[in-house]
Amino acid sequence: MRELDVTNVRFAYEDGTEALRGVDFHCENGEFIAVLGSNGSGKTTLIHLIVGLLKAKSGEIRIGGRRIEDLSAEELTQRVGLVFQNPGDQLFAATVGEDCAFGPRNLSLPEEEVQRRVSEALSAVQALQLRDRAIHHLSFGEQKRVSLAGVMAMRPSVLILDEPTAGLDPAGEAQMLHLLKRLNRDEGMAVVLATHSVDMLPLFADRIYVLDGGRVLQAGPSEEIFCQQEMIVRAKLRLPYVSRLMYEMKRHDGVPIDGLPLTIGEARAQLLELIPKEMLGAENGGKR
Amino acid sequence: MFELFSDIFTYRENALTRIDPRVTLAIALGALAAVVTSEGVVLPLAALALCLGGAAALRIPLRLAALRLAAPLAIVAVLIVLKGFLTGQTPLFAFTIGTWTFTAKAEGFREGGLLGARVLGALAVVFFLSVVTPAHRIFQALRRFGLSRDWLEIAILMYRYIFVLMDRAAALAAAQRLRLGYGTPRRALASSATLAGATILRSIDQAGQTHAAMRLRGYRGAMPFGPLPALQRRDRWILILALGLISAARLAEWGAGR
Repeated sequence: MRELDVTNVRFAYEDGTEALRGVDFHCENGEFIAVLGSNGSGKTTLIHLIVGLLKAKSGEIRIGGRRIEDLSAEELTQRVGLVFQNPGDQLFAATVGEDCAFGPRNLSLPEEEVQRRVSEALSAVQALQLRDRAIHHLSFGEQKRVSLAGVMAMRPSVLILDEPTAGLDPAGEAQMLHLLKRLNRDEGMAVVLATHSVDMLPLFADRIYVLDGGRVLQAGPSEEIFCQQEMIVRAKLRLPYVSRLMYEMKRHDGVPIDGLPLTIGEARAQLLELIPKEMLGAENGGKR
Repeated sequence: MFELFSDIFTYRENALTRIDPRVTLAIALGALAAVVTSEGVVLPLAALALCLGGAAALRIPLRLAALRLAAPLAIVAVLIVLKGFLTGQTPLFAFTIGTWTFTAKAEGFREGGLLGARVLGALAVVFFLSVVTPAHRIFQALRRFGLSRDWLEIAILMYRYIFVLMDRAAALAAAQRLRLGYGTPRRALASSATLAGATILRSIDQAGQTHAAMRLRGYRGAMPFGPLPALQRRDRWILILALGLISAARLAEWGAGR
């Protein structure tokens, strides 16, 4: 079933800037979707429309099969949750526990249920030990995880994240994406992330939408998206570094590579096929 | 600046930070009432000494106390001088500046001293409360004391965003300093004005973003609060004992004055 269905949506800001020019987008139950685009491509506008912060000029947005206009605020907040790019925008309570309890309490749930949801959400993002800490004593990475927990405590069926890895170090970026994949796999939560960081997406995303100038340039699985070098350049993006290396080797050096590997694992497997067994290190016995 | 607002000590584990916030707040309010209604300087100065001694015993740097009490201390000094020279009858000493003669009076200095002692005693109590109870627990306790939910909501948001905006202002000030924005007094003045303006703009922007984030988590104009836990027996005894001691001290002062 389609959790999110966006059809021919257009949106212009008050100054006349057309941010979206007929966007079609959908997300199935339990899917992991990435919306790729350079700055100003319309990613944030699209997600703000989906969560109801902005209203589309034309087109239709359906959530769980129902038109967004027909959903009450309570229903909408329990169906889609948005994690902001800057956790400072989202963490407004004094402590981690109080912040996570904010949403469930707004749903008028009994206090035991509120506390259960807070514990579960904090456990899921590996931040249970931070429960009584003041927000301003958290590191940036911890703030990112706690802001995710605050939204998860609402138990939305679709989790939308605006640049979830922005400002994180490489280890933090990998940790965040693994965490999202785990939530997607274990909790069955559909994940939509808006990003322009391409290197790790092929490992996680089921489908990718490429946005440019308020239009969807291409949508499909990562292997389909990243084999279109020209389209990627037109969207002011780039290939993952490992794919770029393989592409250059194929193009300039004539290295016989099938397709375009998107991950280090795929690239390694292809290169190993080309290297004679006897040239491989003796210590691994030429194991592939 | 950061030290002035720092609440890091309230998160330390010690006997005082473990007390229920309703109890610490009630004791602080009792102490404040005793200090501001005192008829002599002994009780307020004793409160000052006890609070500063308590802070030192908890290994809270006295520099922090000095920083937090510096501004009120300046007000107290002005208060004593104004009272000393403008009220009372009995002359203590006089001096002349140009054609102006200033005469200090005993009654004025006594009154100024008492007011100053009350101010310092009361602020020391508030300072001590602020280093043994985290702000969010004080807010929790204030609910029990009937503070309006709207005020409480504003206080919680203010408390949270003081730190966010301070971080932002510090980053902007550092960027200005690195481009010699504070090289001359004139430039420093211009940079400070820009910094203040940018911080205000940032706070407006921040308010919009925060409101959007709150709406997306079900906020409809009233912040929800969780229930308060039941007061423990140990805390009840602490409350009775402390309020008893404060009342006894106030009564003793009243008795001594008659």
